[in-house]
Amino acid sequence: MKRSHIIAVAVVAVAIGILISASKDVTTYANFAQAAQNGERVKLVGQLVKERPVEYNPEKDPNYLAFYLKDDAGEVRRVVLRAGKPQDFERSEQIVLTGQMQGETFEAADMLLKCPSKYKDQEVYVRSEKG
Amino acid sequence: MQYIGEHLLPGQLGHFFIVLSFVAAALSGIAYFWATRRRETAGFEGWRNLGRFSFILHGLATLGVIGSLFFILTQKYYEYQYAWANVSDDLPFEYTFSAFWKEQQGSFLLWSFWHIALGLVLILRAGKWETPVMAVMALAETIIASMILGLYFGDFRLGANPFDLLRDTMDAPIFAQADYLSKIQGSGLNPLLQNYWMTIHPPTLFLGFASTIVPFAYAIAGLWTRDHKDWLRPALPWALFSGAILGTGILMGGAWAYQALSFGGYWAWDPVENTSLVPWITLVAGIHANLVARSTGYSIRSAYAFYLMSFILILYSTYLTRSGILGDSSVHAFTEMGLGIQLLLFIGVFTVLAAWLWLARRKDVPAIAKEEAAASREFWMFIGALVLFFSAVLITGATSLPVWNKIVQAFNPDYVGAALKDPVAHHNRYQLWIAVFIGLLSGTAQWMRYGERNWQAWAKKFVRHIVIAGVAAAALTALNALWLNIQAWQFFVMLFAGMFTLAANVDYIITFLKGNLKQAASALSHIGFGILVLGILGTGLNKEWISSNPFAMEGLIEGMGNEEMNKNILLLKQSALPMRGGFEATYERDTVERQTRTFAVRFKKMNEQGGYTGEEFVLYPNVMYDREFSKVVASNPSTKHYLTHDIFTHVSSLPKAELDPEFAKQQEDSLRFESYEAAVGDTIFTKKHCLVVEGYTKQPKHPEYKPEKGDLAFGLQLRAYALQDTQGYAAEPMLYLRPRRGGFTLPANVGELQLRVRLNEASMNQWMAMEQDLKFTAFPMKEGGTVDFQGYKIHFTKANREINHPNYAPEPNDIAVAADLEITAPDGRKAKASPLYLIRDSQPFSLRDEAPEFGLHFQFENIDPKTATLTISVAKAAGELRKIPVEIAENAPRSDYIVLEAIVFPGINLVWGGSILMLFGLALGMWRRLYPQK
Repeated sequence: MKRSHIIAVAVVAVAIGILISASKDVTTYANFAQAAQNGERVKLVGQLVKERPVEYNPEKDPNYLAFYLKDDAGEVRRVVLRAGKPQDFERSEQIVLTGQMQGETFEAADMLLKCPSKYKDQEVYVRSEKG
Repeated sequence: MQYIGEHLLPGQLGHFFIVLSFVAAALSGIAYFWATRRRETAGFEGWRNLGRFSFILHGLATLGVIGSLFFILTQKYYEYQYAWANVSDDLPFEYTFSAFWKEQQGSFLLWSFWHIALGLVLILRAGKWETPVMAVMALAETIIASMILGLYFGDFRLGANPFDLLRDTMDAPIFAQADYLSKIQGSGLNPLLQNYWMTIHPPTLFLGFASTIVPFAYAIAGLWTRDHKDWLRPALPWALFSGAILGTGILMGGAWAYQALSFGGYWAWDPVENTSLVPWITLVAGIHANLVARSTGYSIRSAYAFYLMSFILILYSTYLTRSGILGDSSVHAFTEMGLGIQLLLFIGVFTVLAAWLWLARRKDVPAIAKEEAAASREFWMFIGALVLFFSAVLITGATSLPVWNKIVQAFNPDYVGAALKDPVAHHNRYQLWIAVFIGLLSGTAQWMRYGERNWQAWAKKFVRHIVIAGVAAAALTALNALWLNIQAWQFFVMLFAGMFTLAANVDYIITFLKGNLKQAASALSHIGFGILVLGILGTGLNKEWISSNPFAMEGLIEGMGNEEMNKNILLLKQSALPMRGGFEATYERDTVERQTRTFAVRFKKMNEQGGYTGEEFVLYPNVMYDREFSKVVASNPSTKHYLTHDIFTHVSSLPKAELDPEFAKQQEDSLRFESYEAAVGDTIFTKKHCLVVEGYTKQPKHPEYKPEKGDLAFGLQLRAYALQDTQGYAAEPMLYLRPRRGGFTLPANVGELQLRVRLNEASMNQWMAMEQDLKFTAFPMKEGGTVDFQGYKIHFTKANREINHPNYAPEPNDIAVAADLEITAPDGRKAKASPLYLIRDSQPFSLRDEAPEFGLHFQFENIDPKTATLTISVAKAAGELRKIPVEIAENAPRSDYIVLEAIVFPGINLVWGGSILMLFGLALGMWRRLYPQK
C-alpha cells in the first residue's frame, strides 16, 4: 500500500472518530416541556415575561438572577442564571438560553439577549458564573 | 413636495459613481479575460490596456463613492439614512471613520478600496501574471460593487445603496413637512464603537481579507494558463503578506475584545472570530504546501487547493456575518440587510469557478510519481498542512451548525435544529490536539531536509537535535508546571509540544543558522507558536477571579455551596473589602464626563498577615450612558498591566436606580421624607441619626451638578452621625436656579447611613427673597483702607486684575477689577470677599460677592480713576438665613455601590508576544522572498 493511501485512511478514520465523539457536544433547540422530558442540556428561545418580577439583588448575591420566560410554545417557567444581570436585560426582545430543567426551574448556563436599540440591534451574551 | 434644505447632489453623484464603478469593474474583468485568452497573440495588448484603463477607472469611481459618503457623514446631512443612523452633531471627527465602516455598505467599500490598492500593485508588478490575476480581481470587484448598487429589477433590489434618503427608507409623519430636516437629529454612533480600536481594527482586518484574493487569483491563473509551476513563486510572498496582515487583524480583534470590551478574555470561539481564523489557518497550510512545491515539486495540487479554499472561506465568513444567519449564536454579527442571496451568489460563483478549474486541470498538474521520502521535510510539512486543514474543518463544521439547521429546515420544517452545548469547551477540547501536533511537527520538520537522499548521514545529527529539544522541552515543561495550574494530563502534553517546538527552533537558529536571523523566518514563527501555547495555557488555566470574598459572602447566598465560585463582588463606596489574591479593594469615587461615568477603584496588595505591603494602584473602569442618560450602553474595562500578568476589571452591574432614571424617580417618591428646620450650628435629630448643620455655600459641589454661567446655587453643609457613633459623614444637598430652565434640587446621599437629605424648594424662595431685601450702604475706599460696618472691620487689601469670581466668564475687551476685601467680625473671625467691577462694551457691570458666614454682601459700585477711590457698598442680610427647611429620609435604599468583576490573567503578554513573533516570522519570510539578496 502506498503511504498516501495509509494517510488517507488515517484521515478518514480520525474524521469519523471526531464526528462520533463531537456529537456529544451538540444539543437541540427545545421548549420547556421537551427540556423537562429529556432532562438534558438544551438550547431554548423565548421572551422575558415583563409582568412577572425579575429577581436580582446584588447586595445579597451579585451572581444570582431569576426571571420568568415564555417559550415558543407559550409555556412560562422560572429561569435561574448564576451571573450578574446584564444592563439591557429588561429591554430584551428575545432571549436564547442554554441549560437544563431542574425540577420546576430552568437552570441556565448562558444567555444571549437580543435588544432593540435606536442605534443598532444589540446583543448581549452572559455566561453563568457557576462552575 | 418640495423639501427645504436637502442636499441631494452628493447622493446623486455618489450613486453615479457606484454605477460607474460597477460597470468599469465588469468591463475590466471582461477585458482582462480576453487578454488572457489572447495572450501571445496580436490582440493581447489592446485587451490588456482596456483592462488596465477600466480597472483604474473603477478605482477612481470607488474613491468617488467613498468621498461622497464621507462628505455626507462629515457634513452631517441627515437627509441621508446612512448619516442619520450613524453620526450625530456631537460625534468627534475621528469617529467618522468608525461610522463609515460600521454598516455593511461602508465595510464593502473598505474591502473594495483594499482590492483596488492591491490591484494597482499587481498591475505594476505582476508581469505576465497580470491579466489572469486581474481578471479574477475585477470579477470580485464587480460583485462587491453590486452589493451597494441599489438598482431595482422588478421587485428585487440588487444591492443596498448607501445614499438612500431617510424619507425613502422610513415612513413617518414628519416627512409630510417640507422643513422636516430642521427637526431631526442624527442618532449618533453606538458608544461601544467609539474607541480607537474601531478605527484601526476594521481597516487592518479588511486588508487581510482583501489580500487573500491574491494567492487565490494566482492559483486560478496557474490552473487557467496551465502554468502550474511558475505561479508558485510570485504567490508565496503575497500569501505571506496576507498571513501576516490577516493575522494582525485577528489579533487586534482579540486585543480589542480584551482591552476595551467586557468580554473577559481575548478569544471566545465566537462564530465571527472563528470564521476569520479559519481562512488564516488554511492560508498557513497553503504557505507550507507552496514552500514544499517550490522546493521539491510535490504538493502543487495541495497548494492550489489551500489557496483556493482560503478566499472561499473568506467569502463564507462574509456570508455568515452579514446574512443574519448566525442570529442566535453570535455576539457580534452585522444586522441583516437582505443581501443574503447576493452573498450566496458571491460564494457560489467563486466556488464553482475554483472547483471546476481544479477538478478539470487536476490530471494536468505535474506530480512526481515517486513518493516523497518518509524522513524528508516535505513529507512532514505536508502532514502539518493536513493537520491545519483538519483544524479548519473542525472549526468550520461546528460554526456552521446554524447553516446546516437552515438547510435541513428548508426540506423539513419540523426540524428543531442543533447547536453546540458549550462552544468554548468543544473547540478547546479538539484544538488542543491540533496544537500538540503542530508543536511536535514544526519542531521535528525543521531539522529535516528537503528531498532527503542521504538519510543515513543526516539521521545521527537529526536524532541528536531532537533529543536535545526533547530534553529541553521536558525541563521547560517541568519548570512551567510550577506556576501553571495544570489539572489534566492533556495540558501537560500541550505544554510539552509547545516547549518542544520552542526548544527545537531556538536550537535550529543557534546551531544550524549560526544566529543568522534573516534566514530564521520559519523558526521564529514556530518559536512564536510555542510561546503562544504557553500563554494560552497561562491565561486559560491560571485565570483567576479575584473579585470574590469567601468570608463576606459565606452563608449569604442561598443554595450555593462553597465550591461554587463567585466571580463578582459588591463594593460599597468608600469601604474597603478584602478580596481573593491578597487584595483589598475600595470603590473610592465616581465622576461623570459627557456620557461616561468613571469609577475609581483602589487596589491594595496585602501580605499574608493582612498587613499593607505598600503596593497599590487605582483602576478606572467606566460605563457609558446613552445620550438621554436613560440607560447604560457599554461597560468598559480597566486593566493593570504587569510583565507577568494583568489585572482586568470591569463594572458588571450597578444599582438599578443608577441604570434607570424612571426607577430612581419611583424609588425617590416611595421614600418617606420628614421635614426639619435648622440654622447653621444646629443639630437635627431624626429617629436614628443626628445631623449637624455646619454651614452653607454659594459654590456647592455635587456629583450631578455642572455649574453654568448665570446659575444661582446654594448648598447646605451637614455632617451626619448615627446615634451612639462618632463617625461622621459629610452630606451636601444643594439647590440651583438656572436661567430659563428653572430651579432644581439635588439631594445628598449618605450611603453608609442609608440617609437621603434634600433641600426643600421653599428654601430657594426664602434665600432669593433675602437677597432682594438687602439694604446697601456705600463706602468710598482706598487701597489699604479699612471701614467699619455694624462692628465688622472691612479692610480693602488690593485691587486685583486676576479674577476668579464664580459668576464671571471673561470675554475679550473686558476691563475687570476685583476688590479683595478682608473682613473681621466683632468676635475676631475672619473672611474674604472679592466683588467685581466690569466694563464690557462700554457698559459698567458689578458682580456681588459675599461673606456668607456673616451674612454680608458686597457690591463694587464704581471707580474714580483720578483719586484712585472705589465705592464699595455693603449690606447685611436682614433675616440671616436662620431656619433652613431640610428634608431627610431614613432607610433609603443604597445606591452607592458597584458590582465589580476582577480577573487576573497570568501570561497574557506571552499570548501577545508569541502571536506577534509568529506574524513577524511571516512578514520576515515575505521580505526574504522579495529581496533574497539583501
